[in-house]
Amino acid sequence: MSELKPIFNALCRSKVGAILLLLQIAITTAIVSNSTFIIKEKIAYLDQPTGYSEQDIFSFEVMSFGKDTNFKQQAELDEQALRQIPGVVDAVMIDSVPLSGSGSASTFRLRPTGEKSKGEQANVFQGDEHVLNTLGVKVLEGRNFYESEVMVTDNYDQYPNIALITKALADSLFPDGDALGKSIYRGDFPVKIIGITDMMKGPWLSSERKDRSVITPFVLARKLTQFMVRTEPGRRAEVMQQIESLMLQLDSKRVVENIMGLEQVKGGFVAPDKLTMRMLLVMVVVLTLITALGIFGLTMFNINKRTKQVGTRRALGARKSHIINYFLVESVMICIGGLVLGAVLAILLGQQLMQHYSIAKLPLLYVGFTAVGVLLISVCSVIGPAQRAANISPSVATRTI
Amino acid sequence: MLFHYLDLSWRSFKRTPMVSVLMVLAIAIGIGVTMTSLSVYYMMSKDPIPSKSKQLHHVQLQTMNDGNTYWSKDDVPFQVTYQDAMNLLHAPLPYERTAMYKSGFSVHLGNDQIKPFKEPTRLTTKDIFQMFDLQFLYGGAWTQQQQDDIAPVVVISKRINDKLFNGENSVGQSLYLDDMRVQVIGIIEDWDMSVKFYDLNNGSFQPSEGIFMPITMGPANEIITWGNTNGWKNESDRTFSDLLVSESLWLQFWVELENAQEKADFEQFLMNYMIQQQSLGRFNREKLTANVFNVMELMEYRGVVKEDNKIMVTLSFMFLAVCVANILSLLLAKFLRRAPEVGVRRALGASKWQVFYQHLVEVSLLGLFGGLLGIVIAQLGLWGVRASNGSYNTIANMDLNMLLAAPTIAIVACIIAGLYPAWLVCRTTPAVYLKTQ
Repeated sequence: MSELKPIFNALCRSKVGAILLLLQIAITTAIVSNSTFIIKEKIAYLDQPTGYSEQDIFSFEVMSFGKDTNFKQQAELDEQALRQIPGVVDAVMIDSVPLSGSGSASTFRLRPTGEKSKGEQANVFQGDEHVLNTLGVKVLEGRNFYESEVMVTDNYDQYPNIALITKALADSLFPDGDALGKSIYRGDFPVKIIGITDMMKGPWLSSERKDRSVITPFVLARKLTQFMVRTEPGRRAEVMQQIESLMLQLDSKRVVENIMGLEQVKGGFVAPDKLTMRMLLVMVVVLTLITALGIFGLTMFNINKRTKQVGTRRALGARKSHIINYFLVESVMICIGGLVLGAVLAILLGQQLMQHYSIAKLPLLYVGFTAVGVLLISVCSVIGPAQRAANISPSVATRTI
Repeated sequence: MLFHYLDLSWRSFKRTPMVSVLMVLAIAIGIGVTMTSLSVYYMMSKDPIPSKSKQLHHVQLQTMNDGNTYWSKDDVPFQVTYQDAMNLLHAPLPYERTAMYKSGFSVHLGNDQIKPFKEPTRLTTKDIFQMFDLQFLYGGAWTQQQQDDIAPVVVISKRINDKLFNGENSVGQSLYLDDMRVQVIGIIEDWDMSVKFYDLNNGSFQPSEGIFMPITMGPANEIITWGNTNGWKNESDRTFSDLLVSESLWLQFWVELENAQEKADFEQFLMNYMIQQQSLGRFNREKLTANVFNVMELMEYRGVVKEDNKIMVTLSFMFLAVCVANILSLLLAKFLRRAPEVGVRRALGASKWQVFYQHLVEVSLLGLFGGLLGIVIAQLGLWGVRASNGSYNTIANMDLNMLLAAPTIAIVACIIAGLYPAWLVCRTTPAVYLKTQ
């Protein structure tokens, strides 16, 4: 430890290089700790369970333009034909595709309009009794729709008064867990809860209502509709290939588009977040490399400058380990200075980001981990040059003096 | 002298290739990362219609009764109701204006030649083409008469014309939208823009529609919107005619106002309009509000630039700062080693300024190399952006401004890094070095 003071004094004689390195380490710590935190948040968002086996499900859009298509009849025909394709587990005509970023939502309250009561925004899915099986979502309490309860229609004159709701919605409207059999209101219109389903994410993954959904037994047959199909594992691609020709065979006067796997649908919606995550990841990696290079370069420069001094020390009896130690301690000293400054910067940056953007508070753990990481990297990038310094022969010093 | 210094810089570059390449790489990577995020940011925030952005104004009315909320930051709904759109359209005002909404159809020619495809369609008024500077290749817009008569006519974009009619002059030809036969009346150049500013309700970076038709066709044929419909009032919306008289918000409204006076007049008109509507039982609220934003104000208001992009730009400039610090230390090492040589130059009569200048030329050259290589890296980065997010295809590009900005930022960054080392080296006292040689 008695070495610290002379090393510090030596550092003070060539301040600029040290200060630069210190700044570099500080900024790196600030960026890396904030970026890794954002990356982690993004990964958690991208990898959240959706409640669906996305690899086995796909969706597509059908738009009819025939003059005299009977949409109600066609809907039944289409669904039946889809369910008969070998490899298909179930298929359904549905008004909006989960995870797609497009769908509908409504507010559901405990009492009708006019009476003050608790309400929640929820996504609304409309389809027949095959919705849950197609999506692979289980009923936790109560039951699914019966076929007889499903309303197939081409207008809104009547609307079913029963619904399935997700557990998340049931829990938030009925904290006591007695949602089953109760009625909730959409405006003045009551809907009786006949079943509570397991998790199924809504159309908007980024929305806070993503877990709250209502499914109604209502099939609106019209010219623009969507279908979802679940296949046996591994057979999706083969089924997807047949879709367009099959649908056109059933009725040629229509356009079949956007035949996409569910993970692809989700991919489109989360693309900006995925992009940010990737950009940050690249930045963190490159930044770490650059900082390591900087430390490496500065140590090399120092060693070259001090070749004679090192030789003299060796001639005066310093061991190789002493020399290595010297450079290590020097670098660790700069590094610790940089890390202290960096931690402060990181927290300040985190606060700024939190203030201006919807980013959670930077946990100190991230600053800590980053600091340890940066310290390790700086030690690693010093060891090489330090060893080289240790190999400077004492004769170098004596020869040139 | 400049050329002599450039020559010297190049020689110096070659003398220490390792360090020089390292410095160029450091600045190139810094510039590459910065320019990637900056380009995306710049394209998102760029004026999409510079010739008209100050004149075109988007109109929002606070139609909701007191007690209702909306998710905009000032609670004012983004779109307008059909009745308001029509009232504003038909009001005796001297300004060009247009109401519009998005829908879509299966497009075909009624035969087997072309496979039917789906195409979004904009229902609007004849003035849109002039207001938004849309250029006609063939034909022209429909007339007011045709609009009032609900004539089944369409204007199509070049892209659709290429697809359906092989790019020939198809004015007068017919096509089918679903089962409706319509006649082509004009063909416009594709409406390409970085941000779909005229309708930001279904994604800011969507392509524009390829078909335009008179808005009067909407009610006549019950053409439903493909955009958002926002209802706040508990009222019947079962049929299309319900929708037309409802408080549902689903249209966009634009007006062209030449100057502040016109804008003030128009705002006053809106205020009077809302008061008049109050007497009809609408706008039940204490404070009447209308937003009349020009294009750039609207983009700011709607938050077209996502916060992720702002964060990326901030972080990447910090990244650039690290690269600058890196270069600074490398430059220090490089320049100081050259002190003896500078000592001789100084002894031979070079002024401090000349030495300083020489070194700044050298770092600028490094900056130029770094900037050029940075453009290559940024192109790679932007390619990654496009591959990762298809809807950014029009945005993840560098235009001329960005291409010029890259070397400029690189050179400025290098000069900032070089100032201190150059100053240090120009202070060299000749005597010290002359003594040892």
